[in-house]
Amino acid sequence: MRATATALALVLALAGLSIGPPARGEEIPRLTFAQLADSMRANLGVTQGIKAYNGREIEIQGFIIPAGPPDLSFFLLSRVSGTGNYCCELPSGQDETVYVYTARGVSLRYDPVRVYRIRGVFEAGHQVDRSYGVSFFRVRDARVEEAVGARIFKVGETKGP
Amino acid sequence: MTPVTVVWRYLQGRFVTSALTVVSVALGVSLVIASVLLTRGIKEGFIAGATDYNLIVGAKGSPTQLVLNVVFRMDAPTPNIPLSAYEDLRADPRVEAAVPVAMGDAYQGFRYVATSEAYFAPLPWRRHLPALATGRLFRSDAPERPDYEAVLGADAARGTGLKPEDRFYEGEEMAAYPLRVVGVLRPTGTADDRAIFISLASYWEMNEISRKAMIKPLTAILIRPKRLSDLTALHRGWNVGPDLQAALPSAILLNIFNLLGLVEDVLAVVLAVVAVVVGLYLFVTMYNATLERRREIATMRALGARRATVLGIVLLESCVIAGLGGLAGILGGHGVAALGASLLAARGGPVTHALALSALQPVTFGAVVALGALAGLLPAVLAYRTEVAENLAPL
Repeated sequence: MRATATALALVLALAGLSIGPPARGEEIPRLTFAQLADSMRANLGVTQGIKAYNGREIEIQGFIIPAGPPDLSFFLLSRVSGTGNYCCELPSGQDETVYVYTARGVSLRYDPVRVYRIRGVFEAGHQVDRSYGVSFFRVRDARVEEAVGARIFKVGETKGP
Repeated sequence: MTPVTVVWRYLQGRFVTSALTVVSVALGVSLVIASVLLTRGIKEGFIAGATDYNLIVGAKGSPTQLVLNVVFRMDAPTPNIPLSAYEDLRADPRVEAAVPVAMGDAYQGFRYVATSEAYFAPLPWRRHLPALATGRLFRSDAPERPDYEAVLGADAARGTGLKPEDRFYEGEEMAAYPLRVVGVLRPTGTADDRAIFISLASYWEMNEISRKAMIKPLTAILIRPKRLSDLTALHRGWNVGPDLQAALPSAILLNIFNLLGLVEDVLAVVLAVVAVVVGLYLFVTMYNATLERRREIATMRALGARRATVLGIVLLESCVIAGLGGLAGILGGHGVAALGASLLAARGGPVTHALALSALQPVTFGAVVALGALAGLLPAVLAYRTEVAENLAPL
C-alpha cells in the first residue's frame, strides 16, 4: 500500500513537471539580426528556414528606433542604434530591421543606446502596411524589456537558419 | 440608535472640526488628482499633437528646439537653412514626401507658418490631416509673384476673429504686405489649430532679409521615407555634415517624457508627504474627539453597547470624514486640472483635457478611505479600551 502511494506520488510529480508552464524563456527561440540578414534573397523573398518561425513567439534583441508615434505602439528594432553618432557602424538597412507592433499597455523608458529584448509573434515576408510601408520582418503583440548585458550579433557571428 | 446615526450625530456635534478635516483631506486629494491629470494630459497632448512625418531636417543646434518649434510651435525657431536642402531631399529616391516649412513672426500671438501645398496633402499614413472648414487653401504661387493668401487654423480664426476675404497685417512695416484670408481649417487637436499658414513665396517677400539678400530660407523640412528602414541612413546622412541636422520627432518626445518622468517621481514623493500630513491631521482630530467623548463612550457601554460596536463607530467616523474629503478632493482636483489645462492650452501648450474616468478615481477614493481607517485605528482602539467605571465617575 505504501509502495503504491509512493509510486502514485512519483507519477503525479512527473506529470506535474511535464505539463507545468515552461521555465521563463525556455521555449521561446531567440532570433538574431545575423539570421535575418542571411535569410534575405535578391528577389525580395526570405528563406523557408526563417519563415518556419512565422506565427510563433520569438525573442530578438536590438536598439529601438522610434519611427512611429511617441507612445511606442510601433517602432523599428535595429542592430545599430539610430540616434547615436554612428561612431562605429553604419546604419542598418531593411535586412536588419524588425517592425515591432507592441502589445497594448506596454510601458518602457526609452534610451537610444540601450539594448531591448522583444518577445512577440514573428512574421517574415514582404508586406506593405498602410501606415508603416514595406517591411520584411515583423513582431506583433510584442512585450519589451531592457536586455542588460545583451550582445547584438552581426552577420557571420551566428549560423543562419 | 444605529452606529450610522451615532456617527452622524458625532459629525454634527463637532461640525466645524469635522468640516475643516474634510476640507484638509479634500485639498490633499485634489492636489494628487490635479497633478496626475495634468501630467497625463501634457503627455497625451504631446502624443496627440505629434507629427506624422518621421524625420525633421533643420539647422545644426538643439534637436529638441527644432522639434518643439516646428511641430508644436513652441520655443524660438532654429536658424535658417538653404532651399537647396529641400531640393536635395526631393531628389532623394529614398524620400516619399518632403515638406518645406519656414517659421515666421505672429499675428496677435498666432504664428505664421510658411509652407507648400504638400503640407495639406491627403497621404494615407497621415493621422492628422488638416481639412478645410470653409474657403480654400492658398495657391501655390510663383516666388516672384506672391499672392499673400492665408489659411487659418481653427483656434487662430476664433482668436483673431478673421474670416475669409478679411485682410490683416501686424506692424507698420507689414502694411505693404497685407495678407488675405482664403480659408479656415477644421480643428485638429494639434498646434496647427493655432497657426496662420501662408505660402513660401509670400513669406520670402514679406521677410526683409530674404527680400534684400535675394535668398529663400527655410526653417525645416519634414520628411517621410519610402521605407522606414531608410530612416537611420537618412538621419545619419544629414547629421554628419557641419551645417544641418536631422531629428527623429518621436525620439525627442520620448526624451521629454523621460524628463517628465523624473518630475513625476519628485511629485510622487511630495504627494506621499502630503498623504502623511493629511493622515496625521485626521489622526489628531479623531484622537482628540475620542478623548473628549470618553464619558459618552462609557455611557454607551453602560447601556449595553459592545466594545466592537464602539470601535466600529470611531472607525466609521474616520472613514466617513476621509471619504467625504476624498469625494470633494476628486471633484476639486478635476476642476483644478480642467482650469490648468485650459490655461496651458490658451498659451499654446500641448495638453489634452484628461478628465475621462479611469482607475485613478476609484483607486484614489479607496486609498483615501483606507487612510481614514488607518488614521482612526488608534483612536478606535482607545475607545474600545475605555473603562466604564473610570469614565462614568461623577464630574
